[in-house]
Amino acid sequence: MSWGKRLTGYWNKPQHAAYLFIAPAVLIITLFCIVPMLASFGISTMNITTYFTSSKFVGWGNFAEAFHDSKFLNSWKVTGIYTVCVVPIMICFALFMAALVNSERRSDKFFRTIFILPIICSSTVTGLMWKLFLDPNIGWGIYAMEKLGLPSMDIFSNVKLAIFGIVFITVWSGFGVSCMILVAAMQGVSTSLYEAASLDGANAFQKSLHVTIPGISSTLWFILITQIIASFQVFDLVYVITNGGPAHSTETVVSYVYSNAFTTNNRLGYSTAMSEVLFVVILLVTVLLYSRMLAQEKNGGAQ
Amino acid sequence: MSENVEAIHLRKHYKPSEIALKALKYVFLLCIALVVLLPVLWMSLSAFRPADQITIFPPNFFPTVWSAENFQQVMDEIPVVTYVINTAKYAVIVTALSLLFNSMAAYAFARINFKGKNVIFTVLIASMMIPFQVIMIPLFMELHFMGLYDTYAGMIIPKCAAVVGIFFMRSFFYTLPRQLEEAGRLDGLTEFGIFFRIILPLCKSALITQVVLTLTGCWNDLLWPLLMISSPEKRMLSNGIVYFVGQDVTQYGPSFAAGVISIIPLLIMFIFGQKYFVNSIVSTGMKE
Repeated sequence: MSWGKRLTGYWNKPQHAAYLFIAPAVLIITLFCIVPMLASFGISTMNITTYFTSSKFVGWGNFAEAFHDSKFLNSWKVTGIYTVCVVPIMICFALFMAALVNSERRSDKFFRTIFILPIICSSTVTGLMWKLFLDPNIGWGIYAMEKLGLPSMDIFSNVKLAIFGIVFITVWSGFGVSCMILVAAMQGVSTSLYEAASLDGANAFQKSLHVTIPGISSTLWFILITQIIASFQVFDLVYVITNGGPAHSTETVVSYVYSNAFTTNNRLGYSTAMSEVLFVVILLVTVLLYSRMLAQEKNGGAQ
Repeated sequence: MSENVEAIHLRKHYKPSEIALKALKYVFLLCIALVVLLPVLWMSLSAFRPADQITIFPPNFFPTVWSAENFQQVMDEIPVVTYVINTAKYAVIVTALSLLFNSMAAYAFARINFKGKNVIFTVLIASMMIPFQVIMIPLFMELHFMGLYDTYAGMIIPKCAAVVGIFFMRSFFYTLPRQLEEAGRLDGLTEFGIFFRIILPLCKSALITQVVLTLTGCWNDLLWPLLMISSPEKRMLSNGIVYFVGQDVTQYGPSFAAGVISIIPLLIMFIFGQKYFVNSIVSTGMKE
């Protein structure tokens, strides 16, 4: 056997070829995500300004400070409220809508097309558009709500309501994509399973509970985990719409980190330390969910 | 398929309650569709209002006087066409490469058992959780050090693989039947042959979803190009637009127009592409 052939023979074993399959992605992610992440651990132990004008090693000092920073703790509360609202609403709503429009009928395709339309709007545009649409002075949206008999209010200046306004806009812009992913997954569920369920006399609801949901479980896990991560990291919409206000009522963790690093204090070390805390929390939550996902897959969720 | 069977089934014996339920469903869907569309429509129409018409009360949905002055102002201040071309280049290259690299990696993670698989995948998943704002500055310094600052290469290469994409494709590959690879091996295909000829074609819908998400993500990305590009002629559309859509907008007209300009290219893509990602995907060839 020639050298070349032996080489291709070696790389053609699935357990060896796997490394070739993952190589480009792993290389890129290592170089441009993991390496900077490790560097950021170093930065978080230093008292360093954003433009590197001064730096001093402070060890755990930044972390200790964060846990006594009332604004940081407040930003956790805001992020918690946001996540607890967005994740279940987004998933349930997307699932419900996907169940309503998952056929190949023209009307269903039409609605699916409309639901994902918000992806063409960047968060900057989405934020601006909704902010002005619900502006009490010029917004047609708030005017229409008034006409429908709903109380007129300035949502984004209201300390209690502003965060829920942002929750609503997040769902508005994101449910269509989740819905599309779920429809794709639902259509992948084998029709023979539905036929078998029909023969057993299952009604539509029982079928969706016992055939559809287990059939799309890996996709549901994907949406759950990515939504939770995205919610913990919410920034863009808040930045455009309220910039953390009024009275810090919409200041999420990343907003606070960002403002500490780039707008108010230029404290890069402290900001990085706070983001490390966020990272660890997300890591713990995700590892928990991820291990459940693997356990479920092992128990024959798929296959 | 099952839906069609169900539809025929329903047509055979209509019950009034079923008709009412159907009607309710469509009323509900129409309401949701309105909520989705109205703000976008309102913004697009408002972009055509002259300045004095924007702040009138009560606000009207359709402008009574039409004008293109807002667009004129945006076009005068930024080279829109150049920015659209720049953004298109960036978005297309990143989408093509990341689709390839992500799905290759996802395939290995979903369907091959190899040494270190769980460790590598867990590390990748962990790296997905780090907020971009954390790695932003070290990443910038790293690329600067590599001499890639203010180049498209520096902007594109780090975006050519994403854990979200790997994770997403993995969840699709995972549900395909295991016999596929065995059949491919029996036919004498190489591992890459199996992936490109058998597995990928079965995941068209997932791939199209990825294309849509990556393309729109790149198109709308603001922070990254802002960080990496300094030459005015290399800027992206989102960087140009943001001057009109900032925190303290006082001139509503031009910011509406800027918003409309930024969504038009995606809207065109969306209209031409929608049949590919809204249509059925059911060609897995594995439905018995």
